[in-house]
Amino acid sequence: MTRLNIPVESTTLENGLRVVVSPDRTAPVVTVGVYYNIGFRLEPRGRSGFAHLFEHMMFQGSENAGKMMHIKLINSSGGVLNGSTHYDVTNYYESAPSNALDRLLWLEADRMRALKVDDENLRNQRDVVKEEVRVNVLNQPYGGFPWLDLPPVAFRNWPNAHNFYGDFADLDAATLADVQQFFRTYYAPSNAVLLMLGDVTAEEGMSLARRHFANIPAGPPRPQADVTEAPIDSERRAEVEEKFGTLPGIAVGYRAPERRTPDWYALAMLDQALHGGRAGRVYRQLVLEKQIAVDAAGGIHYPVGDVFDYNGPTLLVSRFLYKPEYSAEQALAAYDAVLDEVRQPRSDRGQQGIDRDELEQVKVKFRSDYISSLEGGHGAYIPRYGLMHYMACFTLFDGDPTLVNSILEGFLAVTPEQVRAAAQKYLDPKRRALVIRRPSKPGKGAA
Amino acid sequence: MATTVQSGPGSLVPALGPERSVVWPHRTRRLLANGLEVVLVESHNIPKFTGQLYFRSGNAAAASEAPGLAGITAEVVRTGTARRTSRQIEEDLRRIGADLGTSAGADTSAISFAGLTDFAGELLKLVAELAQEAGFPADEFERERRQLLESVRIERTTPSFLAGERLRRVLFGAHPYSIVAPSEAQVAAYRREQLVDFYRARYRPSTALLVLVGDFSSAAMLGEIERIFGAWTAGEIAPPPNPPLPEVRGRHVHLVHLPEAVQAQVLVGNRAITRKHPDWMRLSLANSIYGGAFNSRLVMNIREQKGYTYSPRSGVHALRQHGYFSVHAAVRNEVVAATLTEMFYELDRMRALPVGEDELADARNYLSGVFSLGLATQEGLAGQLSGVYLDQLPEDYLEMYRERVRALSADDVLSAARAWFDSANAQIVVVGDRAQIAAQAALFGEVATYDAQGAPLA
Repeated sequence: MTRLNIPVESTTLENGLRVVVSPDRTAPVVTVGVYYNIGFRLEPRGRSGFAHLFEHMMFQGSENAGKMMHIKLINSSGGVLNGSTHYDVTNYYESAPSNALDRLLWLEADRMRALKVDDENLRNQRDVVKEEVRVNVLNQPYGGFPWLDLPPVAFRNWPNAHNFYGDFADLDAATLADVQQFFRTYYAPSNAVLLMLGDVTAEEGMSLARRHFANIPAGPPRPQADVTEAPIDSERRAEVEEKFGTLPGIAVGYRAPERRTPDWYALAMLDQALHGGRAGRVYRQLVLEKQIAVDAAGGIHYPVGDVFDYNGPTLLVSRFLYKPEYSAEQALAAYDAVLDEVRQPRSDRGQQGIDRDELEQVKVKFRSDYISSLEGGHGAYIPRYGLMHYMACFTLFDGDPTLVNSILEGFLAVTPEQVRAAAQKYLDPKRRALVIRRPSKPGKGAA
Repeated sequence: MATTVQSGPGSLVPALGPERSVVWPHRTRRLLANGLEVVLVESHNIPKFTGQLYFRSGNAAAASEAPGLAGITAEVVRTGTARRTSRQIEEDLRRIGADLGTSAGADTSAISFAGLTDFAGELLKLVAELAQEAGFPADEFERERRQLLESVRIERTTPSFLAGERLRRVLFGAHPYSIVAPSEAQVAAYRREQLVDFYRARYRPSTALLVLVGDFSSAAMLGEIERIFGAWTAGEIAPPPNPPLPEVRGRHVHLVHLPEAVQAQVLVGNRAITRKHPDWMRLSLANSIYGGAFNSRLVMNIREQKGYTYSPRSGVHALRQHGYFSVHAAVRNEVVAATLTEMFYELDRMRALPVGEDELADARNYLSGVFSLGLATQEGLAGQLSGVYLDQLPEDYLEMYRERVRALSADDVLSAARAWFDSANAQIVVVGDRAQIAAQAALFGEVATYDAQGAPLA
C-alpha cells in the first residue's frame, strides 16, 4: 500500500539534460515542464528579486520565437502556461491537448538554446513585476507574512536571508547584461530536467526530447555556492508594521533538517500533527479550544513550498492571527503550551504527547494528501502539476525521479519516539525566529 | 505588435498533430425517491474520490432574513452533530485521510469532500450526518461568529474584495445578488435559531445534488448512497426571491477610498447573462479574445506592451438568475486613466470590428483546449459536472462543448460583444487612495466615493 506504481521513464542526454516521461493516456492532454536548478536563493548580490524577474524574461522572446509568441502559440494550441520561481528551482510549464506536444517541446528547446530579449522587454517586465509585488505584498493585508518576514530574522547568510521578491532599487539596477549572464550561468541543459506527463508514450517522449534538445550545447557546469548557515543560538525577534489588516499576527520559524535524513521524515509527521488542518494541534488548541487565534496554519517550507521542494536551509513555520484583546506574550504562551505537549510522551499522568493512534491518523492523512498532490491540477488546469513538481525535485536534488513512488515508505515508518525526539531537537523556543505583525490601525475586539 | 510566426510550410514551428478524441467516462444519474439527484462518474487514475453535495439555497435565499446567513450556517454545520463533537469530526476525517469543506455562495450551500477509496463508506456517512443531523452547538456558533467578525474586518482592507463588493452593489441594487458579504453589524446580530431554521428548511434532498467522481464502481456506490441517503425526508423548499433589477444607465465611477494604498484596483462591469442563455458560448469566446486569456487583446495591451499591471483579466460570471461581465486590473496609481482608456478601447473594438479568421481560430482552439484540461483531474471533472446539473444545462453539455465552440463564427463574437460588452453603461469601480486617483477616475464619469465600510464620503 505504501509504494505507488506511477510509470516513470528517465534518461540523460549527452548534453546533460535529464528527461523524465510519465505516461497516462486516460485523457488526451499532456503537461510539459522544464525545471532549472536555480531559484531566488542564488540570485546575485545587489540583485534581489532577479531570479523572478529573469523568469518573466523567459517569456519575452527566444532564438526563433519573438515576444508574445510563447504565449500566443500555446494559447492558440488550446493550452495554458506559466512559470514560477522557488528557493532552489525555477519552472516553466504548460498543459495542452496532446496534439500540441511537438510544438510545446520546440518552444521550450528554443528558449533553452538562446534568449533574444532587448532593453524594452526588460523595462516592460520590470514594471509588470513591480505591480506583482504591489498586488501580492505591498497593497495587501498580511502581504509577505511570513514568507518575506522570517528569512532575514532566521538566517544570516545572504542567499537565505534576503528579500526574494526584490527591493525596487535592485530591480531598477538590473541590466540586459545581467539577464544574459544569468542565462549563461544557470540555464544550461546540464542544470535542467525536462518532464512530460500524460498522453505521451515513453518512446515518443524520449524521441521528441532528443529531436528538440539534443543539439543544445551543454554549457558550463553550475557554479558551487555556500548556502550553509551557522546554528541559531537564541530566540531572534522582529516586529513588522501591518498597514492594512486589523489583527496582530505571529509567525515562528524553526530550522528544518536536510531532506531525506531520518529527522526529515520524523519532522514531517510532527508537522502534520501540528498543522494538519483543523485536527492539527495548533489550530485545534489556539483557534477551536482556547480561542485566542482566529486562524492558524503552518508547515515545513510554508507557505511558499512544502517538505519536498527545497534543497538548503529552510524553516518549519507556524503562523497565526490572534484577537486584539490578547497580548503577544499571551498568544505566544498558548502556542508554546502546544509545543510543550509534543515534546512529552503520552502518559496516564496527564502528559499529552503524540501517541501511536494519533501518529497513525497523521500518516493516513499524509498519504492521502500526497496522492492528491500528485494528481492535482494547480487550480484545475495543469493536470499532474504535483507529480511534475515532485519528480523534478527528486531528479534535480536527489538524482532519482522514481523516489516519487517510494518516498512515502520513510514517512510511514516513523515511530512516536522519533516524533518526540524531533520535537525536542527542532522545536526549541531558545533557537527560533519570531516575527510579530502589529496593525497600525488595530481592530476593536468583540462586537 | 510583434512579428507573427506562422506554422505551416516553411515555418520552424511544428504544426499541431491530429487531435485525439475524448473517451467520455461512463456517467450514472439517478433521482432518489426523496428527490436527491445523484451523478456518478468513475475515474480510476488515483485511489481516491471527490464529491460535492449541493443544496440549491444560498445567501440569496436568506438575504431578507440576514445577509450571509447561508455562509455562517455552513461554517457551523461541520462543528457538531447529534453523535460527534467538533473534535471527533475533525479527527475522524483525519483517521480516514479525508478533506471536507462546508461553504455557501449566492445560490447554493455545499459540503465538498475528498477521500481515499478504502474509506468511502465512512466519509459518506459523515457527510450524511452533517447534512441531516447537525447540532449547532451554542459555543461553536459563538466562536464562528467571532471569527467571521474578524474576517469581515480584514476583507474590508483587501482591494480586490472591496472592488467586487462595490460592483455587485451597483449592478444588482435591491436584488440579493448585490450582497457578497455581511457587515460587522449584521454578523453581530446573527442568532443561533436563524441558522437552525435555515438548515432545517434548506438542507433537504428535494433540491439537492450529489456528484461523485473517482475510483469506485458506480453500481456499488449507488447502492451505498441509497442506503446512506435514502431515508432522508424531502421537505418543501420555497424558491429564492427574485426582485427586479435596477436601471443602470450611463457610465458612473464608484471610488472606494483605501487610505495609504500604493496601487489602484480597477474593476469595470455590466450585467450580462446566465449559462442557460443562448449567447453564453458566444460571449465566452468574445471574452477570451478580449481579456479572458493570457494571449488576449487586453493582456497583451496593458501588460505586455505597456506594463501597467501584472494580472489583468476579464470574465463572465453566471449566477442562477442573472449574470455579469467584468474586467479588472491592479495598476500603479499614475495610470488609472490610461488603463480605463485601454479597457474601453478594447471593448469598443470588440463591438465595432469583426475578429479576423486567424484570431478567431486561435480563440476557438483555446476555449476548447482549456475545457479539456479542466476535465482531466477528479476535482476538475466534478466541478464541471456540478455546473451542468446545478444550472440544469442539457445532459450532453460537456460532450458537445468542443463541437459547439468550433461552430462559432466572427459574427457570433461580434453580436455577443455588441449585446453584452455594454461599454456605454459599464460601471467603473476604483479602489485606492483617493488623493492619488480621484482626478483620473473623474475623467470617465461622475464620481461617488465610499469608505471601506460602504458609507458615502463627501
